[in-house]
Amino acid sequence: MEQQFSLTSELRDNRLIIATSGYINNVGGEAIATEFNNHFANGVKEIILNLAQSKVVNSIGMSFLLEILDQLEEVGGKMVFTNLDPAVEKMLSIMGLFKFAGKEASVDDAIKSFSSQ
Amino acid sequence: MTKTPQTLSHAAAERLSGQIELLQDAFRKLSSAATLRDLAGQFSGVVQEILPSSGVELFYKPQGAERWQKLSGGRVPGTDAMLPTLEGSSSSAWSVDAGSKSVAIVQRLVDKSSVGMVVSQVLDGETVTDVDLISLRLFIHLFDNGYQELLYRRTEKELVFSLNHRVLQLNSLIDTGIEVSKLDQGSSPEHLALERAASLTNASKGLVKIASADKVNKEIYFPDGMPIHGTARLEHSIAASFTFAENTYTFELFEKESRSGVVPFDETDQLLLEALARQVHASLENRFLHEQSLEKQRIEQEMSVAASIQQKIIPVSLPAIDGYDIAGVNIPSKSVGGDYYDCIPLADGRFALVIADVAGKGMPAALLVSSLHAYLAAYLESPIHLTDLARRLNKVIAHASTDDKFITAFFALLNPSTGEIESLNAGHNPSYVMKKDGTLQELKVGGIPLGMIDMDLPYESEKITLEKGERILFYTDGITEAANEENHFYDDAKPLSHFFLTHTPQKAELFIADLIRDIKNYTGSAPQSDDITALYLHRKP
Repeated sequence: MEQQFSLTSELRDNRLIIATSGYINNVGGEAIATEFNNHFANGVKEIILNLAQSKVVNSIGMSFLLEILDQLEEVGGKMVFTNLDPAVEKMLSIMGLFKFAGKEASVDDAIKSFSSQ
Repeated sequence: MTKTPQTLSHAAAERLSGQIELLQDAFRKLSSAATLRDLAGQFSGVVQEILPSSGVELFYKPQGAERWQKLSGGRVPGTDAMLPTLEGSSSSAWSVDAGSKSVAIVQRLVDKSSVGMVVSQVLDGETVTDVDLISLRLFIHLFDNGYQELLYRRTEKELVFSLNHRVLQLNSLIDTGIEVSKLDQGSSPEHLALERAASLTNASKGLVKIASADKVNKEIYFPDGMPIHGTARLEHSIAASFTFAENTYTFELFEKESRSGVVPFDETDQLLLEALARQVHASLENRFLHEQSLEKQRIEQEMSVAASIQQKIIPVSLPAIDGYDIAGVNIPSKSVGGDYYDCIPLADGRFALVIADVAGKGMPAALLVSSLHAYLAAYLESPIHLTDLARRLNKVIAHASTDDKFITAFFALLNPSTGEIESLNAGHNPSYVMKKDGTLQELKVGGIPLGMIDMDLPYESEKITLEKGERILFYTDGITEAANEENHFYDDAKPLSHFFLTHTPQKAELFIADLIRDIKNYTGSAPQSDDITALYLHRKP
């Protein structure tokens, strides 16, 4: 069963990597957005969101993710989702997030995808 | 000083006309703004394109707010104090500060919010020309148009998001139905349904409570370990429940989230929760039916094997005994009991006749009969007294069976030349002997059923002589307790002993056939609940 939300983040080569755990709802989405904005203000334009430990997302959580995507689009940045549970991947797909974001199997794959651009 | 634009001169009209094209181009730029700040930045650029020497600061005030928020331009604090107040239903207001050569304009926007613009160094000489004011008014309207475009796009985006969410809800409902039906027997469909329900309705937490009449058997929380206390249980919640296998499953969701806080659940949320609860109900019922089907299949396979075992140890034919006519029958019931009979020639010329019935049915009963058959054959290879035989069989059957399994049996050793029969009844139905004078003798002497108690308890035997013309019948309770459609026993309605005394055909096989026919006539269409087994011996006159 899904745990309460928490996240960890690291900055690697000016690229923000956020790993979440638990329900991405209002609380979870806001926490991701806050973490993103802290780094976005410092010029970070690439973000990897590792959702390995998040199996449930609601539309409020997704609205925060869409806002992040809007912000990144304005500055030519990019977000890549990784380690997606199939159900979460389908949800994000239906909600149209992959029109603006990438998806990779793992964080390493995401880093490679950034490097190859 | 507040001023309203006056009638234009020809020169001013020409100047304004030249700005129209610039305005059209500016509108295209502003229409593509993604955010309010983006719009403000674009707008400042447009103004400065037309008035290159001017400084432009833009402010925004949401409906009902008292303070201006700076959107773009300038670093000098307090400039917003120059902005005039909109009076009553006025949609715009102007103020000109000749000292600082600045113009401040406020325009009410389409959603009742306001934009304020302070343009410095706009004055041409010491007075604000009509052209300046008309231009600025046109510009500020341009901002309003750009702002409307921004709102339309935002609304469109929200609409697309909302439509996608409805598609997601429908899709997830279908997926969840498929997934819960595919879950392993050990997993919990209510866990999955609770997660999906919370996600699709934007509930911040949820609970599944499984309760029987007087107690809560299980509670599942979402997210795991999230406490649900006090008011959260009473307000802003929805529930759906069903009853299955004497348990009531109640799904509850709490605190529907929105970006502006907790809001009430709507009718769609309730419908979704009920639909997901129904899917869990269907899944549990399907699992139950599937388990029943597997169990039935397992029992049928076991019965098939048990029947095979039983049929292999029931004799296909009985040995011919000089001066006697013998016949037997075993009709297994559908559920396979544990009846057995045999007639075994011994080395000393005697014959061992046996009939037995294992308590219980199915594979355990069939295996126990098989054990009895094997031990009996082994013990009878050497001379053995009937009571010793029973004692030994009691011991080995006790060891070979569970506490609730035992065998009732009747043994008889026949000396065919003298008609002497030594018999031992181990808890079985008494065998009937019909004497020459037409009277009935019951053979009851013996002891406890074989394997019932693992103790060296004594058995007794008795001896009779079967005279010429006399008959003996061994049978199991499948005959006496054969029930008709009213569940009345054959022996109660038509005592077997009476049938035995009144039916004396020449051939043993005929007696058996008549007996079976009589039983079938009695039971009619009622299903056979137990094995029907009998062994009949007639000493020829």
